[in-house]
Amino acid sequence: MRRKKMVESIGFEGIAINVWLVWILPFVGAALIPALAKKNIRITNIGAVGFAIISALLAATLIPLAISGSEIHSQIQWISALNIKAGILADPLSIIMTNLVAWVSSLIMIYSVGYMHGDRDLTRYWFFMLFFIGSMQLIVLSDNLLMVFFGWEGVGFASYALIGFWYGDRKKDYVGREGHIVKGIAMWVSPTHAGIKAFLMTRAGDVMMLSGMFLIFMYAGTFGFKELLADQTWAHTMMEQNLLVPAAVLLFGGAIGKSAQFPLNEWLIEAMTGPTPVSALIHAATMVKAGVFLVARIGPLFFALAAFDAAAFFEVVAWIGAITAFLLATQAIVNPEIKKVLAYSTGSQIGYMMMALGIAGLSTQFVDGYTAGFFHLMSHAMFKASLFMAAGAILHIVGSRFMTDMGGLRKNMNKTFIFMLLSALSLAGAPLITSGFWSKDAIFAALLQSGTSTGGALFFIAFIVAIMTAFYTFRMVGMVFFGTKSKHIQTIEQTSYNNSQSVSSLSSQPSDEHNHQQDTKHTIHEVSPIMWIPFAILAISTVFIGLVGFFFEQEIHSIMASYLSSSFGIGEANSAHSTNNLGQSAGQETEALNPIALVSSFVAFGIGAGLGILFYIIRKKDPEIISRYPVLKNIWLFLYNRWYINSLLYWGFVKIPLRLYQLIWLYFENMIAQGINPAIEYSMSFLSKWVKYTQTGVTQTYLFVFAAGIIIVLIMLYL
Amino acid sequence: MIDISSTPIMIIILLGSVGLAIPIVDAYKKEKGKNKNKLFSAITFGTLILSLLIIISRVVGGEPLPGMNFGNDVLTDDMFGSFFAVSLLIVSIMVSASSWNFMRGISNYSSYYSLLLLSTIGMILIAYSTDFVMLFIAWELMSIPTYALAAFSKKDPISNEAAIKYFLFGAFSSSILVFAIGFVYAVTGTTNIGDSITLLAELSASNQTPDKLGGVIPISYLAIGLFVAGFGFKMGLVPFHMWLPDAYEGAPTTIGALLAAGTKKAGFAAAIRVIVIGMFAIGLDWSIVLAILAVITMTVGNFGALIQKSVPRMMAYSSVAQAGYIMIGLALAPYASSALDGSLFHILNHAVMKSASFLAIAAVAIALASYSLEKYTGLGRKMPITAIALSISLLALAGVPPLNGFWSKLVLFQSAIDSGTVISWGPYLAIAGLLNSALSLGYYLWIIKKMYLDESNDMSRVKEPKAILGVLVFAIIFMVGFGIWHAPLLEFASISVPTHIDQIVPPFGNITQN
Repeated sequence: MRRKKMVESIGFEGIAINVWLVWILPFVGAALIPALAKKNIRITNIGAVGFAIISALLAATLIPLAISGSEIHSQIQWISALNIKAGILADPLSIIMTNLVAWVSSLIMIYSVGYMHGDRDLTRYWFFMLFFIGSMQLIVLSDNLLMVFFGWEGVGFASYALIGFWYGDRKKDYVGREGHIVKGIAMWVSPTHAGIKAFLMTRAGDVMMLSGMFLIFMYAGTFGFKELLADQTWAHTMMEQNLLVPAAVLLFGGAIGKSAQFPLNEWLIEAMTGPTPVSALIHAATMVKAGVFLVARIGPLFFALAAFDAAAFFEVVAWIGAITAFLLATQAIVNPEIKKVLAYSTGSQIGYMMMALGIAGLSTQFVDGYTAGFFHLMSHAMFKASLFMAAGAILHIVGSRFMTDMGGLRKNMNKTFIFMLLSALSLAGAPLITSGFWSKDAIFAALLQSGTSTGGALFFIAFIVAIMTAFYTFRMVGMVFFGTKSKHIQTIEQTSYNNSQSVSSLSSQPSDEHNHQQDTKHTIHEVSPIMWIPFAILAISTVFIGLVGFFFEQEIHSIMASYLSSSFGIGEANSAHSTNNLGQSAGQETEALNPIALVSSFVAFGIGAGLGILFYIIRKKDPEIISRYPVLKNIWLFLYNRWYINSLLYWGFVKIPLRLYQLIWLYFENMIAQGINPAIEYSMSFLSKWVKYTQTGVTQTYLFVFAAGIIIVLIMLYL
Repeated sequence: MIDISSTPIMIIILLGSVGLAIPIVDAYKKEKGKNKNKLFSAITFGTLILSLLIIISRVVGGEPLPGMNFGNDVLTDDMFGSFFAVSLLIVSIMVSASSWNFMRGISNYSSYYSLLLLSTIGMILIAYSTDFVMLFIAWELMSIPTYALAAFSKKDPISNEAAIKYFLFGAFSSSILVFAIGFVYAVTGTTNIGDSITLLAELSASNQTPDKLGGVIPISYLAIGLFVAGFGFKMGLVPFHMWLPDAYEGAPTTIGALLAAGTKKAGFAAAIRVIVIGMFAIGLDWSIVLAILAVITMTVGNFGALIQKSVPRMMAYSSVAQAGYIMIGLALAPYASSALDGSLFHILNHAVMKSASFLAIAAVAIALASYSLEKYTGLGRKMPITAIALSISLLALAGVPPLNGFWSKLVLFQSAIDSGTVISWGPYLAIAGLLNSALSLGYYLWIIKKMYLDESNDMSRVKEPKAILGVLVFAIIFMVGFGIWHAPLLEFASISVPTHIDQIVPPFGNITQN
């Protein structure tokens, strides 16, 4: 009975409604924000944060489901002509991810209330933040690639809008040092430029993803993850035509763009022009993880198609991750801007995750690498969001993005200092007490135990990157909080002292978007609780997870193992796929810690942190010494100029195409626009005039035409 | 005998009693002025909502209704009728709510709302009729109140001219309809639509004269030609469309919405039940005629709209063009299973899109007292919600994804392409439709450009009429919501038309002839 089906398809049955609402509610909230803004700003703030928190609470109701290892899969008819269904899939992977997104974003929304206080365009800010959360949850909870893509574009759009949020392009919102030009390309960019750059670069990835998606759709006739797994004939056909791995790599192209992996890594650095909560939420904790999440979604699928050799795909994933991790870590070492250091570090850490997911597919123990990558995603989301928020607090007070304008802040901002230090330790991988240590250790272990030669090479890179990570983290902490106060800070303190003597002249200035920053510049002080509590919560929870790190990892490992075996049939018993049976004994080993990994984690932290402390905290050595050695100085310059990749991209994709475009315009397009288009225009308006002319307004004419019409119809029928 | 609790009867009782009660209440209430407008508008609005709920509850709950039915009674209670009733009631609801604002300051509220309700009954009954006499009475019940409504601005000569033209043509087409019904009755001796179609088909089958007409008796040609003309007048098919721009433009804009979105759809309801099913049964090779009419209609409509200066007139021509798209489905009904689905889907969408655009125009007319396109300059700043609603409805009319108009056009054009396996010229209809959609953007986007990109001297906010805003917000939600998730509407449309027409009436005629 078709009608019965229609009625059923409209109703969402059972518990699934809360899963739908997790991503629908933020959109509803976004739509309501302009209406709430009519009332007053307080209600808007409460509404925006409220919607994020309700969505998070709904997400939390799913946690028992993840622990019990079951899942919800609910579908409704969407585009019947193509038999495309809209649906949500809440399995352990997406439930953990959705909670992570929901709670981190809720905390950042609370933080935003303080950070964005007094901004003229708060309505727009809240709208895009909620829009972003909704789109991100759509990516996480969707059960098919098509809806993932919608969410994917949604987050891309929100990211673009928020990077360029301060579209006034004032000098203080730029990133990069003014006057830094590399091979004819300016390295300092305005918010609007950065927004467009991010949008276009991720678009390159999205196009690849779209083509990968439709390539699979052409053969499979479905976008659904479940359906793709259930009927694998499509994979056979594609394999025969050598299209399976290309399609997978094309899908991964989307992840490269979104997660800022090499060679599409350059946009993330400039994305720091957005407000800091945006950097924390979108460009550290969630959106850039969407790529990793996508790989985590499709990775097991391709791995489970056990009859096919998808190793090439995982090889690509792992190496892209490794290259990015190394490339961006080297640049983080030399950058003077606090947010850019964090941005480089984000890309570099995501490289780690990709490495782990890639090695998962190459080794026999899929679940090890998979868990390690996902665990690192979780711990990174927490400590990096916390670090960004703390950095935002410092920017908020100091009013400069350069670390050279900071220094000696630990006494004035001791809460920020403590919590930033905790998160920084986690990033650096401080042994035993931080979540970052355990997740990195898990990745090391996964690389070592993979039993492939790739694993060894990757481990070497991962080890080097870990040293660099610890070093730049301590460099950052040292430059911001230790040492003597910079000139900039002294000026601020001096000014505020003067202002307190005389009547402040600032209040008479026309209020600016950022007037609160000027108000709060009285003195260097701690930020308000609404700002420090959110990042304190995240910093404490990262340490908490660190303390129980080993057991936490075991728990995730068991959840993921049961998820992978129940959903994809990937288990430890699945040795049919293994090409060498060396992995059999490894089944038990995963329960214990890998001693080599543990030791190398210690050593990497020790070397990196030691150097960092030497140069920047106790300041025994002046980092300026490198300028005395030409080789070191050139390396420094090479890194500082971002390996010239940015310049290369600009020449290849902006400067030269623009020249070409001018030529095309001059010799080809112009011809059409000036020659052929007007002809169409005139002929159309001529025809239109003719129709208008027949419409005389005289009733007799109308009746005549009517009567003639009847006769013509009759004649036509007869013929 | 048709059941007293069946949907059409309940609608007649409900709407009819309220429609007749309003003037009586008016006579007893002494107070004058705006309060009465509010009161009657609220009563009308409530009654219509109630009727809509009754129909929707019948469709969604309760025992399933048959798709399309030809009973022995004068009325039937089927999904086809319900589908049109839902579309038409949505239009009437939007119109009555908007009249809260638009009719303020005009006297005779009671007759306005009473006529609106009576006309609505007529429209709905057309969709449910299974008898020619019933159909004709419903047709007149729909038309006569609208003649009066079109002339409602008594002092306005343009409105008067529009009403007179509309009335003249209405009378003319009614007489043509009677003529056509008379021919059918003369041959078959019955006025029941189902029976007469069956009898005509039998006669055609038994008539074996080897002339050019094949098996079809000449008088059924005449009848069907006259039906096309009679219904085509309301549908706004091209040779019969000349009155339409004048009438839609001249009538009060809310009534323009009712005419363009409501009565036009009733014409399609009648046409599908009588012409499509009838010609199919008789076995006329009629598709090509309707296809030619479809192409001419959409082309002339779009060209007519292209350089108009008055926005309601532009919309009037646009509704002519939209009738052309809907005709694609009617023309291809025998060849593509989804053709009629597409037509019905587009009818429902068009009802909302066109009412929304006309009512947005009404809002502008209230606030700025002008219909001229020049006055729309900077409307995006002056009346932001009205402007966004107008823009969305225009884009939906043009068929821009992801709005609802895109999906119904997609289904229509898809069916045209699918029909290519049976008839070679089918896909050309899709091409014509696509080209026309592109052409139509020429004037839709022009309005949007005026509203948003052009600067005017005075960009200050103007007060937007509240009730119309409510209606427009509903329309935006409808257009965007069903644009994102169109499955329920398409499902509703496709269960309202028979998948196999030959199950409705015995296939005496042979459709594959010639």
